[in-house]
Amino acid sequence: MSVELSVNLGGLVMKNPVTVASGTFGSGREYAELWSASPSCPGPLNALGAITTKGVSFEPWAGNPGIRITETASGMLNSIGLQNGGVEYFCSNDLVWLASQNVPVIVNVSGHSGEEYTKVIQRLEREEAVAAYEVNISCPNVASGGMSFGTDAAAAAEVTKLCRQATKRPLLVKLTPNVTDITEIARAVEAAGADAISLINTVAGMAIDAQKRTKVFDRGVAGLSGPAVKPVALYAVYRVYQAVDIPLLGIGGIRSACDAVEFFLAGATAVAVGTANFSDPLRALRLAEELSAWCASEGIQDIKELRGALKDG
Amino acid sequence: MHECTATVVSSEARCSGLLYELVLSAPPLAAQVKPGQFVHLALLQAEHILRRPLSVYQANKDAGTLTLLFQVMGEGTRHLTELTSAQQLQVLGPIGQGWNPPETAKRALLIGGGVGAAPLYLLAGELNDRGVLTEVILGAATADLLACEASFVTLLTAGQVHITTDDGSRGYKGFTTEVAAQLLAENRYDYVATCGPEPMQRIVAAMTAESGALCEVSLERRMACGIGACLSCVVDTVNGKKRACVDGPVFDAREVCW
Ligand SMILES: Cc1cc2nc3c(=O)[nH]c(=O)nc-3n(C[C@H](O)[C@H](O)[C@H](O)COP(=O)(O)OP(=O)(O)OC[C@H]3O[C@@H](n4cnc5c(N)ncnc54)[C@H](O)[C@@H]3O)c2cc1C
Ligand SMILES: Cc1cc2nc3c(=O)[nH]c(=O)nc-3n(C[C@H](O)[C@H](O)[C@H](O)COP(=O)(O)O)c2cc1C
Ligand code: FES
Repeated sequence: MSVELSVNLGGLVMKNPVTVASGTFGSGREYAELWSASPSCPGPLNALGAITTKGVSFEPWAGNPGIRITETASGMLNSIGLQNGGVEYFCSNDLVWLASQNVPVIVNVSGHSGEEYTKVIQRLEREEAVAAYEVNISCPNVASGGMSFGTDAAAAAEVTKLCRQATKRPLLVKLTPNVTDITEIARAVEAAGADAISLINTVAGMAIDAQKRTKVFDRGVAGLSGPAVKPVALYAVYRVYQAVDIPLLGIGGIRSACDAVEFFLAGATAVAVGTANFSDPLRALRLAEELSAWCASEGIQDIKELRGALKDG
Repeated sequence: MHECTATVVSSEARCSGLLYELVLSAPPLAAQVKPGQFVHLALLQAEHILRRPLSVYQANKDAGTLTLLFQVMGEGTRHLTELTSAQQLQVLGPIGQGWNPPETAKRALLIGGGVGAAPLYLLAGELNDRGVLTEVILGAATADLLACEASFVTLLTAGQVHITTDDGSRGYKGFTTEVAAQLLAENRYDYVATCGPEPMQRIVAAMTAESGALCEVSLERRMACGIGACLSCVVDTVNGKKRACVDGPVFDAREVCW
């Protein structure tokens, strides 16, 4: 039985509902090389429904000093701080390569101000290879911008509105779970013109070195990801699905077809593999196939049948 | 670089259980590995979602095996000590830019602190094969932590292997850097390679810079992806931030902002 896997994520057509989570996959080049070199490789990068790039800002960002990651029980904390070479560098390097990969490209956009987000999008509008934007208003690892927009409904709406004015392409807005009521923020970005919502970004956390009696991360705060945050992400998707009409990209601790199906049932249209790329560099590649097999074994002909299809009891 | 399923051949305690030698059967990796490269090992315990980077100590292309030498630091390395033969684990490798001794090198000095000796072994073999006069300084806190001495002596000759211990239980009492200073003053080396605690590497780099020889260092950073995508492992260099996993772990010491 062939299973229909294609989905429409706010205007972005994906041949299967699997992408990667921003910042865990670079621009895909390193993984693509590994995937094509691996003897057990079932296919190249275009096995994904879309690729989501690392965060791109207008100017180059150096990222954070000091230790940048640590492992936690079934998860990890990161404080990368959105290091990237800026949009010009991105266009002349990463994007040139991505253009030849035959996979829709979602560019993750970072900024310190509404104007900076807009400038990144304006520059990318000149590039044919970009299929959609994912606006990151939810990163806990930068001092200004990032999460400060995503924790206030008015600020979230304002950034979304500015980005909306800059493009007609599918516009995803990525939310943080570090808020009292995520549905309030979700409704605000929907009203401001977002085509889809990505959730979740990392959960704010910290690590302390007992021996040294110091903070592990220079900034104190870092972002928790991996299997440890999956229940948090699932609940965020479940609640936001009931609050808005636009499609959702589920992110947080996804490793297996079963994890992905749980997100579909909670209301997600598509899912992204993040931290699991580190545990298993072939994970994202295999997930689409595994989903297809899962559906076939459950007698599901179209993956969309699962969306929000939670049964009572 | 390959992602492959490796089979444990043996896992044995060395040095009163403080160090372990893990032999893995992983033919595609053994065939490709170059001196100074490392592998990224997935632990069998699912709650440990990050892999552990370990340098390749020895490789046997014919047998298809890799030997890793590691020190127990935390939970991850402790789990690695529990591996038994025939168990399988996922390994990514070989990874990174290894040592790059100049073609013209005639005399080399390799300095390993603690388990930092491991990634120097294949390099010593390569230099030896090329006919480069190679000396090694191996340092450890105590005599029973000198896991690599015998294999370096077999590869080179006893006279070319200098030993230091912090407590004087074997060899020179003191640090590798003290013996290095002496040797650098006495002889003309055109290549110096070092791996071990970063402060040691920094001192070696400074001393070598004075002597005019090329110095390469091998840096450790925490790593998530191990393939160059996540930017967890950056090193500050005069050419901006570089990734220890794929741009390193070996760097020209002049490039590093210590
Ligand atoms: C390129 C490279 C080669 C290495 N080669 C060797 C080797 O040949 N032999 C050896 O004994 N050790 C080596 N190390 C260090 C080794 O990776 C760490 O000791 C190990 O990851 C510690 O894991 P743990 O769970 O036992 O310790 P924990 O302290 O519990 O680890 C917590 C987290 O921090 C990371 N971490 C802790 N210390 C280090 C470190 N020094 N470097 C990188 N990550 C660290 C761990 O990977 C883990 O994600 C190497 C490191 C790198 C980067
Ligand atoms: C190392 C690392 C870097 C990240 N960088 C970004 C980023 O640049 N932009 C962004 O929107 N999210 C970033 N994230 C968040 C992830 O995209 C994702 O939302 C989060 O990790 C939860 O998913 P996971 O549990 O599957 O990793 C990053 C996460 C990690 C672990
Ligand atoms: S470990 Fe991910 S870039 Fe080096």
